[in-house]
Amino acid sequence: MTPNLFPKKLLIAAAAMSLAGAASAADPNAAATQPLEQKIDSLSQQLDTLKAQLQQLKSQNDALATAQERQEQQTAQAAQPHASPFDNLSLWGYGEVYYTRPIHETEKTVADLARAVFGIGYRFDDKTRFNSEYEVEHGVTSANDPGEFEVEQLYVDHQFNRWAAVEGGLFLIPVGLINEHHEPTAFYGVQRNFVETLIIPSTWREGGFAFHGNTDFGLDWNVGLTTSVNLSHWEGNPEDPIYSTALELINEGAGPMAGTHQELALADAQHLSQYLSLVYRGVPGLEIGAFGSTGTSTSPTVPDGPTSQRVSLWEGHVRWTPGRADLSALYARGTIGGTGAYNALSVGQSNPMPASFSGYYAQAAYSVWQNETYRVAPFARWERYNIGQSFEGIPAGVSPYPTGPTSTGGPWPQPYDRVWTYGANFYVTPNVVLKADYQSFQNNSDLSRFDLGLGLAF
Amino acid sequence: MNLNGASRAGLCAALTAVLLAAGCGGNSNGKVAAATGLSPAADLGRQAFSDVALSASGTQSCASCHIASKAFTDGQVVPFGGLHFVPPATGDAGLRNTPTLMYASYSPDFFFDTDGTPTGGFFRDGRAATLADQAQRPFTTSFKMANASPDEVVQRLRTRPYLQQFIDLYGADSLNNPEVAVGHLAEALAAFQTEDESFHPFTSKYDFWQAGRATLTQQELNGLRLYNDPTRGNCAACHPSTSADGGLTPPLFTDFTYDNLGVPRNPNIPANDDAQTLAYVPYNSADGAHKYYDMGLCGPLRSDLGAQGANASLCGAFKVPTLRDIALTAPYFHNGEFPTLQEALSFYVTRDTDPSRWYPTDGAGNVTKFDDLEAVYGGEFVMNINVLGSDANYVGNVNTVEIPYNRKFGQTASLSPADIDDVIAFLCTLTDGYDPQHPENYTLPAQCAATSP
Repeated sequence: MTPNLFPKKLLIAAAAMSLAGAASAADPNAAATQPLEQKIDSLSQQLDTLKAQLQQLKSQNDALATAQERQEQQTAQAAQPHASPFDNLSLWGYGEVYYTRPIHETEKTVADLARAVFGIGYRFDDKTRFNSEYEVEHGVTSANDPGEFEVEQLYVDHQFNRWAAVEGGLFLIPVGLINEHHEPTAFYGVQRNFVETLIIPSTWREGGFAFHGNTDFGLDWNVGLTTSVNLSHWEGNPEDPIYSTALELINEGAGPMAGTHQELALADAQHLSQYLSLVYRGVPGLEIGAFGSTGTSTSPTVPDGPTSQRVSLWEGHVRWTPGRADLSALYARGTIGGTGAYNALSVGQSNPMPASFSGYYAQAAYSVWQNETYRVAPFARWERYNIGQSFEGIPAGVSPYPTGPTSTGGPWPQPYDRVWTYGANFYVTPNVVLKADYQSFQNNSDLSRFDLGLGLAF
Repeated sequence: MNLNGASRAGLCAALTAVLLAAGCGGNSNGKVAAATGLSPAADLGRQAFSDVALSASGTQSCASCHIASKAFTDGQVVPFGGLHFVPPATGDAGLRNTPTLMYASYSPDFFFDTDGTPTGGFFRDGRAATLADQAQRPFTTSFKMANASPDEVVQRLRTRPYLQQFIDLYGADSLNNPEVAVGHLAEALAAFQTEDESFHPFTSKYDFWQAGRATLTQQELNGLRLYNDPTRGNCAACHPSTSADGGLTPPLFTDFTYDNLGVPRNPNIPANDDAQTLAYVPYNSADGAHKYYDMGLCGPLRSDLGAQGANASLCGAFKVPTLRDIALTAPYFHNGEFPTLQEALSFYVTRDTDPSRWYPTDGAGNVTKFDDLEAVYGGEFVMNINVLGSDANYVGNVNTVEIPYNRKFGQTASLSPADIDDVIAFLCTLTDGYDPQHPENYTLPAQCAATSP
């Protein structure tokens, strides 16, 4: 603020004095004018001093103004976007290492670098972003090694408004509890549960597009049109069981949809599938979900048989996390139509196509100890699955699965089981977890195993 | 170009013929032999196939050993032939059971799969890479049609009434190069087998059942179930009962690979008789047990693969034949060891559970299993039926891993005799000639009605 350096009174007085001084110069009474002259001199000196002060303040003011301007420029510059490539880029990933030991067949103990996954995302603008996820399984990928390198997701998401968005590309199907949140830190147990790998295929992703959004009262909805499974390469008569350990049960695609989903790899897109997913998260700590999908698939060529078959999957789940507890339950059921002709053609084959398959589980976890970033959460899970729940086209009295021993002498595994899993997750940080569990198979008891795992996600 | 009347007429005639031929499909040269519906090459092959004048003895043709009514086999352990052949069984005895020509044109040419599995090829050891290659070799095999050389074949060909047809197809010049000429003759024979429906009718009861036009009996269905079940017969593992190419081709009941089953040595083959020495037998062993071992892929009739290094594992392996018309092609296996299906299937499932039934056994209970293979390749394996577990540590080329060969002495066979009867009932449905309008006319050989003791 500029001080008032020139009080008006002083100015008028000074002016008046000078006029008065000029008027009195012509007066013969010189003795009377002397004190006046002295006053004028004094005033004149004061005026000069004031001028000098004014000048100084003015130049200070100018300096301040310049400084302020410079500062404003600098702030403005800082606010402007740079041409740096890392501004809108996001990187994430996760990894899992397993040690799995079948307790009745310890010679089949395996340690595996199960997954090394990295994700790359980019935000184009406020509304549009891109996500992609790449996965390396089993350590080494080559023609002679067991690994696979795959693109797990690659999609663009565009938000129209507050309530709706659209995504297109290769994306995860919004089903169950694990499919979209399958980082090792997100679930209990060394490996994913059987219902969400055999009944709901894992990791289930398809190509297509979907609309999704949230509502103010907490309902998330997602509806999509995608590629379907491909039944035409159904492996009907493997000479040996597809799996002889629980690890292989999960890894080898033993589930009907797990073994036939196409992963958008030159996928047969003559037949498509559509789904609807609804998840209610309006109450804090509670999640209730329902999912349904139905589509068609090309059939294996059967003389006098159908050219396409209908494949459907239904699922419902609930998850409640009151305080330190984490409780969840899930049910899923799938159906395949028109399997009769295929099964009748190859009666006696070891892997007929099921007409229905289903499973469910209930799980409870509780964080018993927490300290800084450490957390220990033991859990228990009971699940049932049946990948061969019903069949068509198999003659009465004929078992859908082989009756004799396998070539190595053991029993051919049954398609259904009840499994108890007991274990604990030990979180070193929320991003790093050590896991241990014991799984007891009630039916195919040779599959029972003890597992250890290391998982990380960032 | 200025055509005169005659050549223009000739051109018109040729064009007409071509246009007519263009209306009909799939023939080489674009012209069709009116009577048979075959292309000229296939028709030439048809004539040569049954022409005994092409043999040195003057009494043997392809059809002598490949008899149409026996699914192009001859019903003998080994065929006879050579210079002194007098049908049916005088002359030099062959080395192997005559393979069927039914569906032979569907076999791929010989190759090694990406994982090293030998596949395809012709003859029981795949030594002829292509069908034409196979067709030409019997002409000059001393114990078959016995021509001394391709020269002799061509000399005989020049006397045949279809010589002009040969010249029309391949040119007169080709006759001047005997090897080329015999190669052409073989192409004609291959064309005949490829085009003529009698070699691949797909008219079995099983084919009509797949198409929904026939019904299998309970026994036949149970036989199919045991056939497919990998823990029982596991037959489909090498003899698939479903289409291999997604439905384009009906099931061929072979995967065209090779297997070593340790089939017992057949003493009824003169070449296997150590007391004789026959000029045409490639004796190949000094192991003290036998002078001659037929080892299939690694020789002695086939010499390109050899028996050293990685190829040593091939010794004793023979081609998996088709099971179509199997009821008609007795006796079975490369050495005609088993006269009936009942015996062949019983061998499959009791080879190891009851070895003394199949292999030489001495008074002390020592059984020499796999006696038609040299010991160095896993043959001449001695176990004792009085000592349980004496067959436990077998190492060698014979298949002891896949069901039903994974059994050990004392264990139960994967098929019972009643099961075997059911499987045979199913195998009999693979016989061609079924008419869905007249199922009662379906003729099957006697062994299809027999039951196991």
